[in-house]
Amino acid sequence: MPKFIVHFAHFHEDFRLAELEALTLLEDVVVEYDRASYNPESPFLIVEIESALQAAKLVRRGILVRSIVEYWGSGSTYEELFAEVRRQPERWAEYKSCSFKFTVEAFGKSLSQKEKISTIESFSFLGFEGPIRMKNPSAEFFVCEEYGESHEPLPFETPRRIWFGRVVGRGSRELIDRFDVKKRKYLGNTTMDAELSLIMANQALARPGCLVYDPFVGTGSFLMTCSHFGASSMGSDIDGRQIRGTAGFRRDVDGINANLAQYQLQDLVLDTAVFDVCRNPWRDGMLFDAIVTDPPYGVRAGAKRLGRKNGTIPERSLRIVDGEESHRRADYYPPTIPYEMSDVISDLLEFAAEKLVVGGRLVYWLPTVADEYEPEDVPAHPALRLVANSEQPFGSWSRRLITMEKIAILSDTDHLLSEQGSLARDPAHKNFRDRYFTKFKRDPEDPELN
Amino acid sequence: MRLITHNMLKCHVKNCKEPDKQFPLQFKDAKLEQIEAERNNEFLVRMLPRIDWPALLKTTKELGIIIPEKVPANPADDDEFLQALHTAILEMHVKEGSMVCNGCGHEYKITKGIPNMLLAEHEI
Repeated sequence: MPKFIVHFAHFHEDFRLAELEALTLLEDVVVEYDRASYNPESPFLIVEIESALQAAKLVRRGILVRSIVEYWGSGSTYEELFAEVRRQPERWAEYKSCSFKFTVEAFGKSLSQKEKISTIESFSFLGFEGPIRMKNPSAEFFVCEEYGESHEPLPFETPRRIWFGRVVGRGSRELIDRFDVKKRKYLGNTTMDAELSLIMANQALARPGCLVYDPFVGTGSFLMTCSHFGASSMGSDIDGRQIRGTAGFRRDVDGINANLAQYQLQDLVLDTAVFDVCRNPWRDGMLFDAIVTDPPYGVRAGAKRLGRKNGTIPERSLRIVDGEESHRRADYYPPTIPYEMSDVISDLLEFAAEKLVVGGRLVYWLPTVADEYEPEDVPAHPALRLVANSEQPFGSWSRRLITMEKIAILSDTDHLLSEQGSLARDPAHKNFRDRYFTKFKRDPEDPELN
Repeated sequence: MRLITHNMLKCHVKNCKEPDKQFPLQFKDAKLEQIEAERNNEFLVRMLPRIDWPALLKTTKELGIIIPEKVPANPADDDEFLQALHTAILEMHVKEGSMVCNGCGHEYKITKGIPNMLLAEHEI
């Protein structure tokens, strides 16, 4: 099969292969590559795909993929690269007279305009005679000198490798700007950034015809990104003020609805409702194709679930106030109790095991204490298979995007198996809130946690 | 709130245990509005097995929306059926009103199209 160079964005390195694998499923494209050849420090990965059209299809909704390039050659020097390109002169002919452009880049170094032009001229042996067009050329060629990341300027270092080929497709990184939280009419204190929200939609395999649910919907970021890719979506939250936009940032703009109107997603974001997913009203037989969520870590305000603290009188809600039972009054709000994060996560897995279709995905964030984390801390469930575990590090703590796939129908005995009794110690997300406040050095750049 | 969502929600009050009465919830003072939406046949066909048809039929009748009594043998090829289903479950919105449980009588209020499904203290 023909060789292609996947040109990744050099960001969220631990998420890139997971996204690429999600894209192969979403687009139904067969991709072969050597997993061992993936280097998180390099933005390039060599893959084999049947055709350029299939390659373009593969990456078209990639968020961490900048482009995909038909491989023409590479080398540690230009001489080596040219020698490889010269071995296949038969493929130059197609581009002999069409419009074209060259893009010259360096990874880990910046090139002067003069250096770029002299590099382009060195490819004149290809004999392209068509007009050079910077906008919408018929063919685009890509040269990249890969030096690698270094904090020291090393002007005389030679590149690790030089890559050359024809650009055949691009990812969807422009969506990061389109869904930039600063551009949204409505947002909350803990709204997830656009890039990660978009990556989550890919991990969830959100696509036309499927139904996605976010049980901690907040201001609705994931409904928007999943529905942007054609999925229908629903969300719920125990805090209706987030949905309605009557609290937090930019209030009184009609909450989530304001964003749906802005992005014209009203047809696909079906509904949001106010309830506690711990005591949810979904009827039996209701199934989702994906559950995409950022569970409450309890850091900001303390996660809450409906419940009575010991000693309170359950009938308080039935007291008559101004001739009316108190729970029927407009200002009634049921009591809540703290919701410990490890309970949030085990309830979420149990819910997903019950409410996902077989083959459906659960995509969620798990915060962990960096130096205590072990891979087996990631909660397991007999009906769910771990697909990906991608880390976003913040020094003393991390958050991990966990992707799981439902592989079996939940039977009654599975409830017992899913208890985390097998771990000899507490997982590194247990009592995360307490540790977040007492132990960690926090950086002002860290995201706000909910 | 769309009727597809209504078709998925039941009363979940603690001691309300009769499945026939918990679902479907009965609309009360429902203020309906139809908002045109783009039709996606693939979604409709994929959702059909997840929809409780008798419940949808009962609810649409009460709201004065017409849908076929039965799901046709080949719904994917039945344009008229798909349009009726699309209109009923995706274009009809209940903007205000409430949903009442036929078992325990709990009234779930809908405000600006958003249902409040929270339970009171004595119901959890």
